[in-house]
Amino acid sequence: MKLGKFMALVVIVSLVLTIVSACVAPTPQVVEKVVTQVVEKEKQVQVVVTPTAAPKAPVTLTFWHAYNEVSPENETLTKVLIPAFEAANPGIKVESLAVPYDQFRQKLLTSMAGGVAPDLIRSDIIWVPELADIGALAMLDEVMPDFEQYKAAVFPGPLSTNFYNGHYYGLPLDTNTRVWFWNKEMYETAGIAEPPQTMDDVAAQCAKVKALGEDKYVFADGGTYGWAVLPWIWSFGGSITDPEITKATGYLNGPDSVAAYEFLLKMFKDGCLSPSILGGGVSAGDGYATDLYANYLDGPWMYPIFASQFPDKQLHAILMPAGKGGHISVVGGEDIVMMQQSQHKEEALKFLAFTQSEEYQLKMAETGQMPVLNKLIDSDYMKSHPYYGTFLEQLNTAKARTPHPAWTKMEEYLTNAGQAILREEMPVQEALDKATAEIDALLAK
Amino acid sequence: MSRNQGGRRLFNRVVLYLALLLGAIIMAGPFLYMVSTAFKGQVYVFEFPPQFIPARPTLENFVKAWTSNNFALYFWNSLRVAVVVMAVVVVLTSMMAYAFARFNFRGKDTLFYLMLAMMMMPAMMLIIPQFVLARNLNLINKLGGLVVVYAASGMAFNTFLLRGFFEGLPRELEEAVLLDGGGYFTIFTRVILPLSTPALATVAIFSFLGSWDEYIWALTVINEAKKRTLPIAIANFQGQHASDWGLVFAASLIAVIPVLVIYVLLQRYFVQGLTSGALKA
Repeated sequence: MKLGKFMALVVIVSLVLTIVSACVAPTPQVVEKVVTQVVEKEKQVQVVVTPTAAPKAPVTLTFWHAYNEVSPENETLTKVLIPAFEAANPGIKVESLAVPYDQFRQKLLTSMAGGVAPDLIRSDIIWVPELADIGALAMLDEVMPDFEQYKAAVFPGPLSTNFYNGHYYGLPLDTNTRVWFWNKEMYETAGIAEPPQTMDDVAAQCAKVKALGEDKYVFADGGTYGWAVLPWIWSFGGSITDPEITKATGYLNGPDSVAAYEFLLKMFKDGCLSPSILGGGVSAGDGYATDLYANYLDGPWMYPIFASQFPDKQLHAILMPAGKGGHISVVGGEDIVMMQQSQHKEEALKFLAFTQSEEYQLKMAETGQMPVLNKLIDSDYMKSHPYYGTFLEQLNTAKARTPHPAWTKMEEYLTNAGQAILREEMPVQEALDKATAEIDALLAK
Repeated sequence: MSRNQGGRRLFNRVVLYLALLLGAIIMAGPFLYMVSTAFKGQVYVFEFPPQFIPARPTLENFVKAWTSNNFALYFWNSLRVAVVVMAVVVVLTSMMAYAFARFNFRGKDTLFYLMLAMMMMPAMMLIIPQFVLARNLNLINKLGGLVVVYAASGMAFNTFLLRGFFEGLPRELEEAVLLDGGGYFTIFTRVILPLSTPALATVAIFSFLGSWDEYIWALTVINEAKKRTLPIAIANFQGQHASDWGLVFAASLIAVIPVLVIYVLLQRYFVQGLTSGALKA
């Protein structure tokens, strides 16, 4: 039995060690501080002995983004732009990491909790207020000496997505919006003469498109989230909240927003809106490419994607069809922000500034990333560009999603309301009243 | 009467086979569709009506998946992690399970139930504390760190499985070894382990699969492209705006190969191991 007791002891000791290791309060930040102080002292000594500054140890910056690993954007970033930056800035290495978009926030928040956040991220514009609110981002207008100069060089709309609570937390990296893609081949087969200018034109396509087959649809989208439904709500004259973002009552459940959802519901019931809006099925872009969908909304990144995946299919773009509110679409894009936890802020700011250069912006523009620099709008490049024109025109009236730290939660209520409406689990007014009450409760906090 | 019985038996058999066929289609259908899509160009992925046998099959997706962005390296990373985890889990859980099955010591049941309780915690709930712990133990951004976490998370279930199996082995064999002057180590290595091959094979398959497929933890802690594992590489073929499905499925098909190999090699033990553990627990 001696061995038996020994093995039992081994089991107990292993389990206890596991528990203890979990409970020990570690002090890595203290260690980091000590190291920093030692380095600073060494520097001072060297300054006294010799006027030549000690060569700085090479710094590796981490930059997370959500580009597809095999996309032209990632290729350009990792094989052209980062090497160019590194060549111009010896001693700084940039390690970029592609993180799948759907898990980006989870990975970032977990890393922040562990104190090992990256130096810079390419953040979806809708995450910036939330990240700023929890103190995750450095205030660029405080830490970047020439911030005003960069601020003046970019479009005001995309810049405004970096503003929260009196400070700027980032700079725009790229901008975009959704425009209306109409499927020329399907139009010809169905006998539709012109792409739609108004919501009535969209509704009028229903019978002609359904005559092509049960599996053909006038319009498709991938869900009922804000990015998908906001162009409809705004174009019908509705909105989510008042302009001051204090309440949703009278706005999300107001008559114009209700009319937008009634329109979508009728299209859905008539078989003209693809069931892909409830999730699953053929995605909107793939369905357009294979002549299942006559129209859909999407951004400029689809041109390079179509060129590589569907080289025989052309995209034809116009403005979002107008309702009572006009031709209104949604502003998208990404900002570049510096994390408060970054240990290399000085070097990170150099890379951040590089992303605002003409060189960087024009190279990324070739991959479908619309530039944000004012001076490029009148450049030959933009003027002769085959498709940015429609997007720039749409951007004139496009609106940003509600810039509020609780937007992710608000969008969840919006998505659920859209699902309940299209599944006919609730009448439109009732579903929007419910979402309105939920959003009001969020805004009251 | 006997004709009636014969007819009923035939009817039952037909129903049984139909049900089995339906089950087989439901189980194998998505897999076969994945195989089919992997051989299609992107233009043909969403053809309607869908074609199970591609009209224009191509190997382009496999070539592109294997040659793009260090896919072979990610495959090798995953394989190394999964094999080491498998070895560590088999060795440690068999020893733990033997201790729990055969020895009496104070707090044995409490410890065992405490271990089982760990199985009940949802993984996402633990991800932040686990991350902080892993960081403090310097296990972030390391393949070795993945091994430690995967092996630890496989301990509870596999110990539970093996304990049930070991308890079902006749004690007389062990007593015979003791009478012949052998010790517990001899019993463990010469009697228990050889008799438990089915259960050990089951543990090996579970632990291999568990680490081979794992996504969320690897995604959360690995920050360098060259240290990625296969599930992250496959997920990265899906873009924010569009996905090349032929590529995703070709990559998934490549990822399935080691799983099939392990399963085929250990299959004859697998079912036996599962049921033995379950019945004798």
